[in-house]
Amino acid sequence: MNTIPPVMPLAWVNGSDAPEKPSLNIGFMALSDCASVVVAATQGFAQPYGLTLSLKRQSSWAGLRDKLVSGELDAAHSLYGLIYAVHLGIGGGAASDMAVLMGLNQNAQAINLSAALQRKGVVNAEALARLVHHNGARLTLAQTFPTGNHAMWLYYWLASQGIHPLRDVDSVVVPPAQMVAHLQAGRIDGFCVGEPWSADAVAQGQGFTLATSQSIWPDHPEKVLGCARAFVEQYPNSARALVMAILAASRFIEQSPENRRSTAQLLSGTAYLNTPAAHIEPRLLGDYQDGLGNRWQDPHALRFFDQGRCNLPYLSDGMWFMTQFRRWGLLRDDPDYLGVARQVQQLALYREAAQALGIPCAELAMRSSLLVDGSRWDGSDPHGYARSFRLHAMHDQPTIRVGV
Amino acid sequence: MNMLRILLIDDTEKKVGRLKAALVEAGFEVIDAGGLTIDLPACVETVRPDVVLIDTESPGRDVMEQVVLVSRDRPRPIVLFTDEHDPAVMRQAIQAGVSAYIIEGIQATRLQPILDVAMARFESDQALKAQLQARDLQLAERKRIEQAKGLLMKMKDCNEEQAYTLMRRQAMSKQQKLVQVAEQIIAMQELLG
Repeated sequence: MNTIPPVMPLAWVNGSDAPEKPSLNIGFMALSDCASVVVAATQGFAQPYGLTLSLKRQSSWAGLRDKLVSGELDAAHSLYGLIYAVHLGIGGGAASDMAVLMGLNQNAQAINLSAALQRKGVVNAEALARLVHHNGARLTLAQTFPTGNHAMWLYYWLASQGIHPLRDVDSVVVPPAQMVAHLQAGRIDGFCVGEPWSADAVAQGQGFTLATSQSIWPDHPEKVLGCARAFVEQYPNSARALVMAILAASRFIEQSPENRRSTAQLLSGTAYLNTPAAHIEPRLLGDYQDGLGNRWQDPHALRFFDQGRCNLPYLSDGMWFMTQFRRWGLLRDDPDYLGVARQVQQLALYREAAQALGIPCAELAMRSSLLVDGSRWDGSDPHGYARSFRLHAMHDQPTIRVGV
Repeated sequence: MNMLRILLIDDTEKKVGRLKAALVEAGFEVIDAGGLTIDLPACVETVRPDVVLIDTESPGRDVMEQVVLVSRDRPRPIVLFTDEHDPAVMRQAIQAGVSAYIIEGIQATRLQPILDVAMARFESDQALKAQLQARDLQLAERKRIEQAKGLLMKMKDCNEEQAYTLMRRQAMSKQQKLVQVAEQIIAMQELLG
């Protein structure tokens, strides 16, 4: 008879911390930064905590949002900006209480321009600003969701170069996987998107990377594990177990270069990104080529764990997105920045999960960062920070005129 | 009461052709946005529809999000039809895979016949939603993984963590689940005795 090794203790399953809901539907979008969610669900990281994760690939952020709100998805790989927009009621659908369970990754988005602009010598920020301001060119730049991270990175970077993102260029929404085709057809001049779609444009010779998101804000917050607040209130043990499973997977991915490489292999599968591993792997390992002949090892490349530093849901990270919504007129009034962030960011639950795995947690709920335009963000004065920018759209009002 | 004007967005594999015919037959004015989703804002601007129907799974939904935001200062903004308007109708529609955007102010009762037709005609993927007995499956999978890990520890003379890492790397580079690799190890061991 075969000797079956003893199954690991089922303390989490049998004790009072057992997940109230053992089987969860987890949404994701086809982007390299969904890796920790996919690895957790497919490589046996959830079972020890009594959970089964079913992955549900989504074809739009709007669809993912609606399913989080309706409960069809329990949690999802989400844009920071999307979670806060739903919570604050900006965009389609009514306001609905949302939660951020943990950060999934930092860095690894990028702004890219077309090969046509490259041929005209528009290969740096100065040339782009010159083209926009002096040559009367009206460029069309794409991002992925009107309140999403990529819109915020694109707007922030353009403004830091003296280009008003809402007045000097046209900003349109294009789904990530369609970016390269639109660029090739000349319908857009550039775009801001998550990997592997920037690397894909470079590999196909259709564009070049002008600025990485980590050059805007090194180690910036990016995707989060988002859910409706109802989920975490109704199933707190499931939520904690889910965070533990994904934390364990994040740690595994960064344990060795071999693990990162096999992560790239896994992601390239048809059920996930459905893209050659050759387009995913280099930037996942920090090996960047911009399509202009420059190649470098990026010290702030895609990070999933970094000893837990990627994963703590800092209040200041959530607040930053609200300051940018305010800056660009998406929010017409100042929210209670700190109060809202305290509701959304599930810091206490995250700390329990991290501590159970022996992963260190910062004591403070805020962190301090220096951004590309020289401004420092530390969460201490969101009201003032939102007003500190020369370029903004804070006072944009409905264009209703009375009389002539 | 004016007849509602419907814009139909056709950018997925679902068969919108039959839906269009059915809506026209029911007496609605239907415009087919067959072009590129990137042109959707301009298309909505030109057509000025009362209702926009789109596959819930369409990538173009994020482009509609832009349309919603841009229209929010108009006298009659475009909004996503949600359960605030009518919970029952909305849930049904989402399940059938139809998302509707409407001009704010249109009553849910006027939308009902349109959604009825749409839900009946959109192909649904209900078959995919069949739920397995997840709990049993999970326990069975876990036992198989434990068994394979034990075999590997013996064969490779390694510790538990190393065995897991070997199995996971193998699974990931073959785009498989951990349990699939576990099954292969067990099968191989049975073969080689």
